[in-house]
Amino acid sequence: MAIFIILGVPVLLAIGALFVRRERLCGIINCFGYFAVLCASVILFKEIVSAGHIRAFFDFIYLDLLSAVFILVISVIAFAAAIYSIGYIRKDVEQRIISERKARFYYLFFNLFCFSIFCVPAMNNLGMLWVAIEMTTLISAFLVGFYNSKESVEAAWKYIIICSVGIIFALLGTILFSYAFSNSGLSKSLNWSDMAPVAHMLDKNILKIAFIFILVGYGTKAGLAPMHTWLPDAHSQAVAPISALLSGVLLKTAIYAILRFGIIIIKSGELAYFAHLMILFGAISLVISSGLILVQKDLKRLLAYSSIEHIGIISIGFGLGSPLAIAGATLHVFNHAVTKSLMFFGAGNIVSAYKKHNMNAIRGVIKALPFTGIAVLLGVFALSGFPPFSIFISEIMIIIAAFTNGSYFIAGLLLATLSAVFGSFIYHFGKILFGNLPKGTVMQKEPLSSKLAFLFLFILICATGIVLIFKNKDLLWLAQRLLQG
Amino acid sequence: MQGIILFALLAFTYLMVIAKRMPALIRGFRYQSLCLFAITFVLALIQREPELYIVSGLLFILKVSLIPYLLRRMIDKIKVSEDLGLFINPQLSLLWALAFTYLSWIFATYLNGANNAILTGTLAIAFFVVFSGIFLMIFRMTALSQIIGLLVMENGLFLLASTVSGGMPFFVEIAIFFDVFVSVLIMGFFVYRINKLFTHIDVNKLSRLRG
Repeated sequence: MAIFIILGVPVLLAIGALFVRRERLCGIINCFGYFAVLCASVILFKEIVSAGHIRAFFDFIYLDLLSAVFILVISVIAFAAAIYSIGYIRKDVEQRIISERKARFYYLFFNLFCFSIFCVPAMNNLGMLWVAIEMTTLISAFLVGFYNSKESVEAAWKYIIICSVGIIFALLGTILFSYAFSNSGLSKSLNWSDMAPVAHMLDKNILKIAFIFILVGYGTKAGLAPMHTWLPDAHSQAVAPISALLSGVLLKTAIYAILRFGIIIIKSGELAYFAHLMILFGAISLVISSGLILVQKDLKRLLAYSSIEHIGIISIGFGLGSPLAIAGATLHVFNHAVTKSLMFFGAGNIVSAYKKHNMNAIRGVIKALPFTGIAVLLGVFALSGFPPFSIFISEIMIIIAAFTNGSYFIAGLLLATLSAVFGSFIYHFGKILFGNLPKGTVMQKEPLSSKLAFLFLFILICATGIVLIFKNKDLLWLAQRLLQG
Repeated sequence: MQGIILFALLAFTYLMVIAKRMPALIRGFRYQSLCLFAITFVLALIQREPELYIVSGLLFILKVSLIPYLLRRMIDKIKVSEDLGLFINPQLSLLWALAFTYLSWIFATYLNGANNAILTGTLAIAFFVVFSGIFLMIFRMTALSQIIGLLVMENGLFLLASTVSGGMPFFVEIAIFFDVFVSVLIMGFFVYRINKLFTHIDVNKLSRLRG
């Protein structure tokens, strides 16, 4: 069974990290492990496309198309982060920023973090879903505060407190969902697979209130504005591969949780309610983040705000609700994860070469780090939605869906904010990529592992961008099935 | 019987809202958890379910004994002042708490209707406990009191879950207990680190990251 490989390998790797003495060896074993996970998740995806859904382990695990898509995204990013980690952690150890022992701790927590993320889409029980998401917060807090500086500990504290409070609201919402379920006279259960088929019999008023708590709660974790305040701090202070995982995957798992409850709401006949709330929060996120991107001075914070923007786009896409929009939003989950990981890896290399986050002090990246510089340059165009890269396809799908739905205001908002963000990206990155090197900087050697990670992600970006144009019928067919459970 | 315990729970929550010093807050939390334990234990006696006995036992071990003990030890070890860093003084906090109580009553009657007074009352108290947890987190500016605020919110949710839906499924309950315990340990770890790096645990002064 593929799912047991996916959940088992990270645990085994975490145990391995305790015993393997050399951190370099740890990193290489990690790579092979996550390659196996990636293969398993591709197999799982194929199985589910043909079988519909899979239950395993006494109904404890329930997988449908939605979970398969998210597991696929997670495994891609985890594999890329595992490759990138080898060189990045090696460099930190060589420069005496961290000790060899701490590097092993890094691999331990990295694997535990991946395990907790993989748990989220696999859980059938909504209570266990909550526990899995809370676990991701608790474990990744160590990775945010990893460097033990004043800034990183502050970021970790804010992260753990704000997300825990947010997620307590989500638990409140979950309890209210189960209240609605037990009120309708059915047997006591928190299993999603029991709740979704009877959604039309549940009390709509309670469901509506519960969904607000869910949206605020998991929305905090997803980084939807105005609950996003932890996000720029945590993303900017975390270790670079972890920033990629946080932004690429962790935010998406929270979106996944919202969708799980959203499906129950949709099935109870409240599609408009779900749509309005998702679009509202998405639009707020878009507007706030596009303003803040323009005025950023810190490289990694800039990327963090861009994550908020993309989460806003995804949430609008799911809110619009037509098959085209859902296909676009699901693709955007994948595309944003891949592209943003590329950018965070690039930012990690830049920051470790210049020892600064401040963009005013970084100049001439292309001269100092040619490979990273070019990767970041292409990444900027990919991230701001240029054809032939993949984000262009998903964004255009969502915008077309907005026009065909008649939501002209939303379509206009999307176009306006996207162009503003494009302008600020070109402005900021134009300054740091080109120009003269500051005095005293020398050409750096880039580790092979980070080059491989860039190549892997970049091939994915281009491939999805080009192939998907010819596969749009399959995509729409999948999207129609996606929210049916 | 249950009415009396619930009233005691309400009273202890009020005590926490007006507490001025850290030990008083922790004591309030311990008594509040004790009330929760009593409610679950009485429920277990009535329904004769072995799972409920286990849940109440865990409640006693974790929330009445272990977590307050850990928090107490933390204060003794880090040796900062025991002030809570009040943003709002106790008198004003009391007014807020009264307003919260009324709001939660309205919310509970909206959810449940006024037909079942005991259930509505329990719902209202549960929501009030959650609200006061948020209140403690926002208006008490030390890292430790934020942890306690979080725990209070969790207590409120436990009460809510056990009243409205007859408790969560057993293994979910166990997982949540485990989760709460781990989160207290991890947050405690970060409190030590904050204290070591900043020599205080006043979260209001953590403002290096902006923009």
